[in-house]
Amino acid sequence: MNPRYRRVLAELARHPEFGVLVSLAVLAAAFTLLAPDTFPRPVTLYSILTLASELGVATLGVAFLMISGEFDLSVGSVYALVPMFVALMADAGFDMTLAAILMLAVAFGIGIVNGLITVKAGIPSFITTLGMMMFLRGILLAITGGFPVRLEGSHWLVWVLNGPIGVQGLRTGAIWLVTLTAVFAFILDWTAYGNWTYAVGASAATARELGVPASRVKILNFGVSSFMAGLAGLMAFSRFQIVDPTMGMGLELETITAAVLGGCLLTGGYGSMVGSFLGAILIAMTRVGLVLAKAPAYWYRAFIGVILIIATVINMTLVKKFVTSG
Amino acid sequence: MPSDAVKLVAALIIGILIGVVGGYGIAAMQKPAQPSTPTLPAGDVVPKAQYEELRNKYDQLLSEYNKLKEQLQQGKATEYTFYYVSHGGPADPWWAPVIKGAHDAGSALGVKVVYSGPEKFSIQKLVDLVNSAIAAHPDGLIVTITDYKALDEPLRRAIGMGIPVIAVNVPDPRPEKERIPYLSYVGQLEYDAGYQLAKYLVDTGYKPKRVVIAIHEVGHVGLEMRAKGITDAIHEAYPDVPVEKLDITTDETKAAEILKNYLTAHPETDAIFTLGPIGAHPALKVLDEMGLAGKVKLLTIDLDDVILQAIKDGKLLAAVSQQPYAQGYLPVVFMYLYVKYGVVPPKHVPTGPTIIDKDRLTTVQKQIQMTGGA
Repeated sequence: MNPRYRRVLAELARHPEFGVLVSLAVLAAAFTLLAPDTFPRPVTLYSILTLASELGVATLGVAFLMISGEFDLSVGSVYALVPMFVALMADAGFDMTLAAILMLAVAFGIGIVNGLITVKAGIPSFITTLGMMMFLRGILLAITGGFPVRLEGSHWLVWVLNGPIGVQGLRTGAIWLVTLTAVFAFILDWTAYGNWTYAVGASAATARELGVPASRVKILNFGVSSFMAGLAGLMAFSRFQIVDPTMGMGLELETITAAVLGGCLLTGGYGSMVGSFLGAILIAMTRVGLVLAKAPAYWYRAFIGVILIIATVINMTLVKKFVTSG
Repeated sequence: MPSDAVKLVAALIIGILIGVVGGYGIAAMQKPAQPSTPTLPAGDVVPKAQYEELRNKYDQLLSEYNKLKEQLQQGKATEYTFYYVSHGGPADPWWAPVIKGAHDAGSALGVKVVYSGPEKFSIQKLVDLVNSAIAAHPDGLIVTITDYKALDEPLRRAIGMGIPVIAVNVPDPRPEKERIPYLSYVGQLEYDAGYQLAKYLVDTGYKPKRVVIAIHEVGHVGLEMRAKGITDAIHEAYPDVPVEKLDITTDETKAAEILKNYLTAHPETDAIFTLGPIGAHPALKVLDEMGLAGKVKLLTIDLDDVILQAIKDGKLLAAVSQQPYAQGYLPVVFMYLYVKYGVVPPKHVPTGPTIIDKDRLTTVQKQIQMTGGA
C-alpha cells in the first residue's frame, strides 16, 4: 500500500470508533441492498435511534466504568428498579419528578455501594455486581409478586424522557442519547477526570503512584454506571408507562456487547464514548434491518450472534494492527 | 470530589439494604413452619415396601385425627371436605376469582373446601402442600398439574389411597396412557385458545391478506401451542394466506420497534395476534403511534384492564378469556357429583376459550364485578 494512504488509515484507525464505523457502513450497505424500498428512509433511522436510546444510555455508563477497568452486571436490575419504584410512588400520590430524582439518587447510591465493596474488599466487580443484580431482582419480584406495575395518569416528565416528536417516530429519547454521548465524550477525552479514568483502567497501581485517586475514580464510575442504567430504565418506562419486574433482564450483557463493539477493551484502559454509542446503534440496526430484509423471524438471534462476532473480529483486527503495533 | 457526601450516600444505601434484608429475614423467621410429611431417607436403610405401608397408615391416622379435631372445633360435621391446591398464591390477583369460585361452590353444596397455594411461585412448596393435603385424607383433591414430574408420585399415591383427583388450570401434557390417572381436567387447552381466537376472525367473514403472530417467549410450550392453534385455524379457512411467527421478546421497546418494522416491511399485514398482555400492550402502542389502530385487526389471549379498554375503544377486536371463576367453581361441583352420586365427569371440561369482543363487554364486566376477575 502507498505509505501515505497507510499513514492516513493508521491515523484514522487509531481512534477506537473506527472499527465500529466500518462495520456500520458495511451492514448499512448490505441492508440497503436487501431492502432498498424500506431501509434507507428517515423512519428507519428513527426506529433505530429509538431502539438504541435506552441501550445506548445504559451503555455509556457501563463503557465509562469498563474503561476504568471494572464491570457492572447489576445495570439490568437497576434499569427495572428505578422505574418500578417511581411508578409505585407516583401511583401512591408522590410527585413523579420528585420520585424520579430520589430514585436516580438511590441508583447512584447502589453503584457507590458496588464500588465500595469492590474496591475496599478487593472482590472482583464481576462478583460484586452479579450479587447485586440478583439481590435487586429478588427485591423487585418479592415486592410486586411478579406482576407489572402501571403508571396511572400522565405527567410531563414522561414526554421529556421519551415522548414523540412529530409523527415519523422520532422520540426525545434519541436526543437524550446524542446529548449524553457528547457530554460523556467530552468528560472522557477533554477533562482531567477522563484522563484519570483511562489511567486507572490501564493500571491502577501506576495511576495511584502518579497521584490519581484511583479508588475514588472507580467508586464514582460505579455510581455513574448505575445512575445511567436508572435513567435508561426511566426512558423505557416513559414510553409504555408500565414496568414489568423482569424488565431489563439480559441488558447487562447487551451493554457490554455494545461497549466492546464500540472499541472498549474488556481489560480496561481503552475505549470511546462515541464508539459505544455507535455500538448500540449497530445492535439496533441489526434488529431493524433483519426485520425489514424479511429474514425469517426464528433466525434473528442466530443472525445477530454471527453479525456481532464478525463486527468484533473486524474491530479487534484493526485495534491490533494499528494501535498496539503503532 | 465530595468524598464525605459519597460516604454519606453510601452509608444511607447500606442502611436501607440492611433494613430490607433484615426485615425480610425477621418476617421469614416469624412464619410458622409448614407441616410436612416424612420423606424416604437416602440409601436403602428401610425396605421401601415397609416404609410405604407405614406411611399409608400414618397418613390415614393423621387424616382421621384431623377430621375429628375439625369436628370438635366446629361442633358439627361437614358432609365432605375437598382440598384445592394450586401454584397460585392467595396474593396472586389472577387466582382471586378462582379461590372465590371454589369457596362459593363449597358453600352452595354444603362442602368444606380448603384452598392452599404457595405464597410465591415454587414447585417444591406446591408438592409440600399436595403432600399435606393427602395426609389430611380429604374426600377429593383438586390440583394444578404445574409440574407433572414433581406431582406424579404424590398424586398416584393419593389415587392409590382412594382419593379422587381432578386436575385444574394446567393438565398433565403427556399422552393418556402415561398421564396421571386423574378423573378429569377442568380448564382451557392452549391449542384451543389459539384455534378459537383465529376461528373467530375467520367467522366474521374477514379474509386477512397477511397474518403475524407476535410471540414473546420463543420456545415456551404453551405459547407455541397457542400459535399453532392460530396458524391451523387460519390455514384451514384460507390456505393461501401467509401466517408468520415474529419473535418480539419480552422487552417492550424491542417488541414495539420489531412490530413497527414488520408492518413497514409487510405493509399488507392486516391481522396481528398476540399471545398475552406482554405482547398486546406494545402492539396497541405501535398501532396507535402508526395511526393503524382499528384498521389492522388485533386479537389477543388473556385479559386485563388495558385490553378491555382497547376492546371498548375498538382498537382490539377480541380477546380470549379462560374464566378463572369457573376454574374454581366447576371442579368442586364435578367432585361433589362424583363423590356423592357416582357421576363420572368427562375427560376434559373446558372453562374457555371464551371470546370476549365488544358485544360481550358488558357481560364480562359483570363477571369481573361479581367474581373479581376474568
